[in-house]
Amino acid sequence: MIRAVADRAFLPTKSLLENVGNMVILTGRTLISAVRPPYSYGGEFAGQFMFALRLCWFPLLISTVAFGYEAPGLQAANFLTLFGALDRLGGFFVLASIREFAPFVDAIVLAGVAGTAITADLGARKIREELDALQVLGVDPVKSLVVPRFLALMLVTGLFDIYALLFGIFGGILATLVNHAPIGPFFITLFNNADTINLWGSVLKTTLFGAIIAIVCCYKGMTASGGAEGVGRAVNQAVVIAFLGIFAFNYAFTQTLLATHPEVVTIPK
Amino acid sequence: MSVVDEQQSRPAPPPGASEEEYKWHTYTQYPSGRPDAVEFIDMYKGFGRNKILRGLNMGLPEGMVSMILGPSGTGKSVCIKHMVGLLYPDDGDVLVHGESVPNMPDDDLFDMRKKFGLLFQDGALFGSMNVFDNTSFPLRQHTEKSEDEIEDIVTRRLNEVGLGSHGDKLPNELSGGMRKRAGFARALVLEPDIVLFDEPDSGLDPVRTALLGELILEIHRDMMDDAKEKQKEHLPTFSVITHDIMSARRVADYINVLWKGRIVEAGPAEDMLNSDNPFIRQFLSGESQGPLTMD
Repeated sequence: MIRAVADRAFLPTKSLLENVGNMVILTGRTLISAVRPPYSYGGEFAGQFMFALRLCWFPLLISTVAFGYEAPGLQAANFLTLFGALDRLGGFFVLASIREFAPFVDAIVLAGVAGTAITADLGARKIREELDALQVLGVDPVKSLVVPRFLALMLVTGLFDIYALLFGIFGGILATLVNHAPIGPFFITLFNNADTINLWGSVLKTTLFGAIIAIVCCYKGMTASGGAEGVGRAVNQAVVIAFLGIFAFNYAFTQTLLATHPEVVTIPK
Repeated sequence: MSVVDEQQSRPAPPPGASEEEYKWHTYTQYPSGRPDAVEFIDMYKGFGRNKILRGLNMGLPEGMVSMILGPSGTGKSVCIKHMVGLLYPDDGDVLVHGESVPNMPDDDLFDMRKKFGLLFQDGALFGSMNVFDNTSFPLRQHTEKSEDEIEDIVTRRLNEVGLGSHGDKLPNELSGGMRKRAGFARALVLEPDIVLFDEPDSGLDPVRTALLGELILEIHRDMMDDAKEKQKEHLPTFSVITHDIMSARRVADYINVLWKGRIVEAGPAEDMLNSDNPFIRQFLSGESQGPLTMD
């Protein structure tokens, strides 16, 4: 009885901690495998990079324009119009799009589109015993499968951040035009507030988002069990855990960036 | 002679089990006269509360076709995964040619696995590669052979398993039996010292099961001749996991009967088929009456 109650209370926590621990171990093994020769993952890396690029460019375009237009665009424009300060929308987009929304939308699209594809692919291979077969044939699945996906997703998420913030800002321009305002002041306040710290911070953050997505999705795929249903469950868990990881990491990263670079908190006139 | 061939006093039942549950386990191991290629020493393995291996002592003699027989769910496939380091024991040891698998660093483990060829239950072919590329995969990964040499070896192996004209097909275009044979060809291309078959007869009709059994024997004979001619350090060892008694009778040189995580009895096929143990007699004759029930 006591054991049953204890199991119900502590097993989920134990399982969560085990999962997190295993993902940290997988990250370590991936980094070591990536730098240790031979570098036999070049072909797979290129394939995965192109795969993620092909899958994500259009969903990301639609998401960033729509999101930029609606949330920071129309909502902030409505608010700023009350004060007759719609020209400050460009300045707001530095904070909104570059620092927060573009990285977020980028990571969410990458996790939802490319990450789930990775989990489903590796999960299906796990169920068909292909991963075991690889190991028995003397091939390290971390080096041959995880490292190329890890590097490809980091690179593609980082690059897509630029793409996402450009189209996010385009959404802001649309919102300005919809409010019948000239776009000159939008650009003036945008460039007045823009700085390299926010830009490299944004790209670095999304690159690390890519690492989180890759590790979570590879781990859940490689540990899938229970047939087709198990793969579906793994995909679902991968997305949820990746989002939680991204949100938590975003908080820590942004707070650290602001604390170490206090000048970006000050809004120039 | 390995440690598991030596006759020892009757071991105590595993923790939590009664002597009654293990009364048919005589632990008799008839001598094979050969050193063991693989040895399980007092091995325990559980998944959560489900204890699978419970003090397993088992040997697979070199140069023989060994069968691991036992009722479903007794841990036969778990044994194979321990041999190749895909699973680690909770306690005890697995030795391959005298080297402890659980204690090997990763790099040594990947090297050690080159000694093995493993035929998975469904072939475990790589879905993105055709049969030829699947079969040539180990050669391309681990040897410096030219494409011409690789083509020669792969074509010979595919012909041996009757898939010579199916090299360009993808795994999803093959039947279950063809996938198994392709997996068999892939398991053999590196000429491994130890070849493991995980239920090669599952999902096959009786005729194809018999043909696959003959193929296993024929290839083992060829590899034995080759090993003797080249005076290799280790003779080829085949191990087949099955619960198909007919396959065992046709193919086995040596039989291990596994039940409740321990070996009931083990020995050369002739000794086992003449065993007085009621459990062994029931299991090897496939009768419904005897110690083994549906429980």
